[in-house]
Amino acid sequence: MSFLLPCPNCGPRDVDEFAYAGETTERPQGTPSPRELASYIHFRRNAAGVQREWWYHRFGCELWFLAERDTRTNEVLKTELPSTDAAGSPTPHEPATPDTPAV
Amino acid sequence: MTVDGVPNVRVCVEPVREGATVRAQNVLGSLDRDLLNVVDRIGGPFTPVGFYYRTMLRPRRLWPQYERVLRNLAGLGCLDKSGRRSGRYDVEHRRADVLVIGGGEAGVAAARAAAENSVGSVVLVDERAAPHIDGVETLAPARAIGFYEGGLVPVDAGNVLYRFRAGKVVVATGTVEQPLLFPGNDLVGVLLPQAVRRLVDDWALKPGDRGVIVSADGAGLDVVEQLRRAGVEIVEVVDLRESLPSTLAANGRRGRLESVTIEGRELACDLLVMSGGRQPAYSLLAQAGARVEYDARRGIFVPVDLPANVEAAGSVTETEPAAAPPPPSFDGGDAKGRCFVCICEDVTEKDVKRALAEGFDSLELAKRYTTVTMGPCQGRLCHLPSIRLYARETGSDEGAIGTTTARPPWAPVSLGLLAGRGLEPAKRTAIHHRHVELGATMMWTGAWRRPHSYGDAAGEARHVHEALGLIDVSTLGKLLVEGPDAAAFLELLYPNRFADMKVGRVRYGVLGSDAGRIMDDGTIGRIADDRFYVTTTSTGADTVIEWFDWWNAVWGMDVEVVNLTGALAAVNVAGPRSRELLGRLTDVDVSNEGIAYLDTKEAHVAGVPCLILRIGFVGELGYELHFASPYGEYLWDTLLERGKDLGIRPFGLEPQRILRLEKMHIIVGQDTDSESNVLEAGMPWIAKLDKDDFVGKWALEHVQARGFREQLVGFEMANGVVPAEGGQIVLDGRSAGRVTSARMSPHLGKAIGMAWVRPQLAVEDARIEIKVDGRLEAARVRLKPFFDPKGERLRA
Amino acid sequence: MTGLDFVSLDRAVAGDGFEPRLSSPLCRALEGSDRVLDLSFLGKIEVRGDVDAINGDLEVVRITPQRALVLCAPEEAAALRDRLPGMVIDMTAALAGLELHGVRTLRRLTDLDLDALPAVGRVADVPCLVLRNGDSFRLFFPQEYGHSVAEVVLDVLKGLE
Repeated sequence: MSFLLPCPNCGPRDVDEFAYAGETTERPQGTPSPRELASYIHFRRNAAGVQREWWYHRFGCELWFLAERDTRTNEVLKTELPSTDAAGSPTPHEPATPDTPAV
Repeated sequence: MTVDGVPNVRVCVEPVREGATVRAQNVLGSLDRDLLNVVDRIGGPFTPVGFYYRTMLRPRRLWPQYERVLRNLAGLGCLDKSGRRSGRYDVEHRRADVLVIGGGEAGVAAARAAAENSVGSVVLVDERAAPHIDGVETLAPARAIGFYEGGLVPVDAGNVLYRFRAGKVVVATGTVEQPLLFPGNDLVGVLLPQAVRRLVDDWALKPGDRGVIVSADGAGLDVVEQLRRAGVEIVEVVDLRESLPSTLAANGRRGRLESVTIEGRELACDLLVMSGGRQPAYSLLAQAGARVEYDARRGIFVPVDLPANVEAAGSVTETEPAAAPPPPSFDGGDAKGRCFVCICEDVTEKDVKRALAEGFDSLELAKRYTTVTMGPCQGRLCHLPSIRLYARETGSDEGAIGTTTARPPWAPVSLGLLAGRGLEPAKRTAIHHRHVELGATMMWTGAWRRPHSYGDAAGEARHVHEALGLIDVSTLGKLLVEGPDAAAFLELLYPNRFADMKVGRVRYGVLGSDAGRIMDDGTIGRIADDRFYVTTTSTGADTVIEWFDWWNAVWGMDVEVVNLTGALAAVNVAGPRSRELLGRLTDVDVSNEGIAYLDTKEAHVAGVPCLILRIGFVGELGYELHFASPYGEYLWDTLLERGKDLGIRPFGLEPQRILRLEKMHIIVGQDTDSESNVLEAGMPWIAKLDKDDFVGKWALEHVQARGFREQLVGFEMANGVVPAEGGQIVLDGRSAGRVTSARMSPHLGKAIGMAWVRPQLAVEDARIEIKVDGRLEAARVRLKPFFDPKGERLRA
Repeated sequence: MTGLDFVSLDRAVAGDGFEPRLSSPLCRALEGSDRVLDLSFLGKIEVRGDVDAINGDLEVVRITPQRALVLCAPEEAAALRDRLPGMVIDMTAALAGLELHGVRTLRRLTDLDLDALPAVGRVADVPCLVLRNGDSFRLFFPQEYGHSVAEVVLDVLKGLE
C-alpha cells in the first residue's frame, strides 16, 4: 500500500502515516438484543466498493477522521472530520454508502 | 556473474573496478570444462521442468542437500551465509513535477521540452549515463524499479533508493529486442543486436570473427554496420521479413558457437546476431494502470489507455512494424542443441510443451510451474516468446492469452536497498543509560528497551519484600484527561465508577471494549475536580490514547486528552523502608495519614516536583513518583544515593513480574486474551453494571446472563515444578484450562501461577493437574493472593 | 504546589542539599558531534482551544485548528503558561528537539513536502514536527525516541559526507 490519503487537517500524506480503524459502525441506542449486540460487535459489511471508514493520523496531527474509500482501487473520494451537533452530543454516524455490487 | 561475492550481477552494465573479483556463475569450473554441461547432456530427461517438485519431495531431511545442488544447477548464484551487511543503504524521498524514466532520444526530448516549458522541477532517470540537459536533474546510473499505488516510483541508484512522487511521470523505456527461439540459442556467440552495439560502440570490442545476422526488423540488420567497423566478416544476413527459413539452428562445442545451419546449409561462424523484433518495454506503464493489448499485425503487446498523470514517449508505445512476426520457434532440423525459451531460468521449448501436456494450460499457472519470466530479466527476453509459444501449442492466439500481470520490481534490486538503514526506532526512558551502566540485561517490551534484571532476578524480588527496591516505570502510559466532562467521559469508557472519587484518590481501572474484552489496565487518579491522571500499561499506551481520542471524536464531549507518556519519567520506590526514604526527600507528611494507600499528592521530592501515587503493583508499601523526564537521571541517582544506608537496590522487569504474581495482579495480554472479560477474570467489583452505559456494559451483562465458561485463578504447585506458560490443565484426561503465568517465588519458596480453568475448578483448594514436560504435576487452586492476602503490607 | 507543576522543568528548587539537574535525551547520542544542535530544552507550550486568540510576538506552530505549540526560550515558559488562552500544558519535557542543516539530510529522513513546512509527519519513523528556515530545519519529536532519532540523523549525515 502506498496510496496517498488526504488528512482533512494536514493534506495528502503517504498512507503509512495513518492507522486504519475499519468501517464505521453504529453503536446501538439503548440495550441491544443479543442478536443486535453480536451484529454490532462482530459483523461488518466488508464492501467491495465505496466504504465509509475511520482513520487516525498517527504520525501527524493525531486527529480521527472519516474517509470514503473504494476498497477495490484505494481511491479516496472524500475525507472529513467527524461532526457533532451544537449541543455537543454525538451525531450518529450515517451508515456507509450503500454497498456497491462486487465487480 | 558473481562480483565481489554478490551473485547475479549483470556484467554488461557493471563498471569494471580495480581489484574486483569476478567469477562465473552457473558453471562448475570454467565454461570450457563446465561440469554441469554433463548434466545438461545426460540430463535432458533427468531435469525437466517440475522435476524437483515431483522427485525430491522425499526424504524431507535430504532437501537441504538437494537444494544446494539444485540452486547451483538453476544458476541462482550463491550468497555468503556468514555475510553481514556489506554496504550502507539509504532511502531518499523525492518530489518532482516531471519524472522522465529513460534517457534515450525520446526521454531526453521529453525532459528538454518540460524544462523549456518551465513546468517546474524535472528529473530524468537512466540506467546508463545520460546527457546533461539544462534545467534537468539527471540521475544515472539508476533504474526505476516499479510503479506503485499513488504514483510512487522507487528508483534504484545503487546504494540509495529514491522514492519519487511526481506530478507527471513520462515513461520512455523504449523497446526490448526479443530473441528468436531455435536449437542452440544459448550458445556463447549468440547475441542480440543491442549487445553488439554496446560491445562495439561503448567498449570498442570485436564480438567475433565471422558473423551471421538473422533479424525480423530493420534495427537488427543495422548492426551490420557496427560489425563491419569492428572488422567482423559478414557471412550471411537473413532478413526474416523477406524470407522465412524452414529450419534454423546453432551448433557448437563446449558451449561455444561454431556454426549456424539455415535450411540445411551449414555456415561456419563464431557470432550469430539474432533479433525477433522489438517489444515495447511496457511494464512500468502496465503497473501504472495501462491496459496491454496484442497488436497482431506487429506481433507485439502494446500499452494503451494510459492513466492520468502518466505519459509515454518514444518507442514504448510506437514501434516500426516488423513485416512479419517471426515464428514462435524454429524447427532445428536434426540439430542437437536445446531451444531455450527462458535463458535466466533454463526453460526450454520442450519444458513448456511438457507443462501444457500436464495441464498447465493457463499462462499464469504455466509461468509458476515452469518459472518462465521469473528470472532476473523479469520476462524482458522471454515473456513475448513464451506467449507466442503457448498460442501456437494451444491453437489459441496471443491476444486471447494475454500477458501475465506486470509487477515490481521491473529490474533486479538488492535486498539491502529495500531494507534500507539498519536502525529501528526504539523507545528509551530518561533513565535508560543508568540501567546500562548498572549492568542491566536489557530486553524489548513493545518498542521499549527495559531492564530485565540487574543480574539477580530472584534476589531483587526478595529484596523488595525485605528492604527497599527501585524500579523505572517511565514506560507506563500517562494521560491527562481534563475538562468539565472528564469524570463523565471516564465513566463511559471504563466499567469502573469515578464520579464519586474524591480529589487526591487513586482507583485501579480496567479498560474494556464493547465486546467486553479487557484492553488494558492502570490507575486513575483524580488530581482536580475536572482533571484525572490516567496510567496505562507500557505496551498498551498508544492504543489507549488512540482509543480515548476516538471515543472523544465520536461523543464530542467537553474534555481534552493529553498524552504525557514521554513528558514524564516515573519510578516506583517499594519495600518496607520506602516511607523512610521518601521522608528524607520531601517536606510533605509521608505518614499513613499524610499519604494513605491509594492517595495521590503533588510534592517536591529532592527538589523536583512530583506527582506521588501510593499504589502497590508489587505488593509492598510503595510510592510511584511521576516527574518531568529530564530529571530522570538526577532523581534516580539521588534515590540510590540517599537510600544507600537503607539498602536500596534497583530491580528489573523480571523481579517485578514475580512480585506481581505473588499478589495475583494480572498482566493484560499475558493473563488475558481476546476472550477475557473482567467478570471471568475474577474482578467483578470493577464492573458497575448499575451505570446507565459504559463501553462493554451490554457484553458483560450477557456474560452474566449466560454464566461463566472459564475463570482466571491462581494455583500453587505441589512439588515446586514451574509449568510452562500455556501449559495444559488436565481433568480426567481432558484439557480443562491453561496456564498464563508461572514463576518460582523466592520469598514464598513455592512455584505459583495463574491459569484459566473451568468454573467448577474455580474453588479454593481445588485439586488440578498440570502437564509439565509430558508428565502430570499436582497443584491446588488459589483464589486469594499468595502474598499478603489481606493487603496489610500495602496499607502499612 | 498546585496544578501541573510536575510536568514543567522550571518548578524544581535547589536547597536542603538537593541540586536538581536536567539531562537531555539526546546528550549521549550527540556527544562529540558539532553538526547537530540539541534543542530539547527549548520551551514548548501546547495550547488547546481557540489558537487564534494567541497574541503577542510569539512563535506559534498551529497543529490543528484547536491545537498549537508555542516555542519559547526556557526562561519564558512559566510566564507564557500563565498568560496563554485555553488549556495550556507544558510539553517541553515531552519533546526532544534538534536543529540540522541540509535539504538532502531531510529528504533521507522524511517524505514530507519540504516546501510545505511547518508540518507534523513521519521523520526517521517517528512522529515529528518539522520547521524550516532556509537550509536549516528544526525537528521536535517524542523524547523517548530521542536517542534513536539522533543516531539516525548522525548516520544520515555520515552517509552524505
